Amino acid sequence: MIYVLTIYTLVAIINLPPLIKNGQKRELFAFIAFFIVAFVLSLLYAMDIEIPSPMEGLKYLIEDFMGLKYPEPK
Amino acid sequence: MNVERGKINVTQLFFCVTGFVEGSVLLVNFAVDMTKSQTWMAVLASIAVAIPVIYSYVALATRFPGLNVIQINDIVYGPILGKLISLYYIFFFALTFSFNNRDIGELYKIFIMPDAPMIFFLAAFAVTCAYAVHKGLEPLARVSHIIVAISFTVMLLIFLLLIDIMDFSNFLPLFDVPLISFIHSVHVITAIPFCESIAFLMIFGSLDKTEKAAKYVIWGLISGGFILLNVAVRNTAVLGNTVTIWTSTSFESTRLIDIGTVLTRMDLWIGVIQTILIFFKASLLLYALATSVAQILGLKSYLPILLPLTAIEVILSATVYQSPVDHAMTTQNAGIFYSTPLLYFTPAITLLIAVIRKLPKSKRRKRS
Repeated sequence: MIYVLTIYTLVAIINLPPLIKNGQKRELFAFIAFFIVAFVLSLLYAMDIEIPSPMEGLKYLIEDFMGLKYPEPK
Repeated sequence: MNVERGKINVTQLFFCVTGFVEGSVLLVNFAVDMTKSQTWMAVLASIAVAIPVIYSYVALATRFPGLNVIQINDIVYGPILGKLISLYYIFFFALTFSFNNRDIGELYKIFIMPDAPMIFFLAAFAVTCAYAVHKGLEPLARVSHIIVAISFTVMLLIFLLLIDIMDFSNFLPLFDVPLISFIHSVHVITAIPFCESIAFLMIFGSLDKTEKAAKYVIWGLISGGFILLNVAVRNTAVLGNTVTIWTSTSFESTRLIDIGTVLTRMDLWIGVIQTILIFFKASLLLYALATSVAQILGLKSYLPILLPLTAIEVILSATVYQSPVDHAMTTQNAGIFYSTPLLYFTPAITLLIAVIRKLPKSKRRKRS
């Protein structure tokens, strides 16, 4: 947990000042949006909370729902 | 406006494509379950299938010189449908980078440092790729020939050192693989090592001479395919029927090198080469991901979002598969089916619509 907080604080310190100074609003909003998603995911991972894999959803959709699957190799 | 301002030449593109295809050398294993000792035939068939598909990528880029696929989608499909199709590309780039990052994590966790936590390898590798991407496309393209030269030399050397224990009767009997297994194997090899080069649709726009790209891309594909063929032949000739039971056939075959009890443990070289090759491939994928996200959001540069995107990718890599077995099983079915419409049809359909609608319009005006 402490590693996650340290790393993300460093990333924010390095990236935010130039974006604010140069008035790059669009870049700033994009950075903050992705930063929040990354931070939340990292915290969940550090706290051992299960994060669902997108492949599980794709597997269900493609193999179970659509029935697209090659037969098992003999 | 394109988010990348650097330019690369067609020779660099050739080495980039070769290195990118070689980056999947570890993944030939996914096809071994289906075609066993006949994987070399599946590699050859995959090269033949991939050439027209990849030609459609180059033809699309050549029609819209200086533009990346996100810009092309906006022009051809309009701003709404174009962005929806672009999101499919971004989803593919994001997942493919996470798979490659995961490959490195599994390689180190299983073969090199079993007691270390995998998240450490995933984070270290992804940050290294992000550093390379931060430097831009030009520096990556400039090292491509060095990476290809080193990997080609090591692969050739390992092949030569293993020649005395190769048994070419291991390839017999020929043509005993069921047709469906052969098609499955070709699908896997075409989709993963070859058609993942759809990421180059984010790079072709940075070429100095886009009109000459086709020849260099196809030759790059064939050169990379030759290395995959070399690996498939070597592993089958050395390991025989046991080729299906090993987690990494390249490691196991190279471990058998023993020249006068002095030249041994050459599997270290496989680890080094695979790290370098996957680094190169993953860096190009991360570049494609960062530039495509920046382009769709209308940013002037991809640099501000690079580190947060990399962090998301690290967590995605850590959670995308439960285990190496899950990785292999999912890749052999859902992993290739979800990307099939994108890899095989979307660029060709985009090209067809562009031809029918006589796009790009400025080009038509210039001609008239």
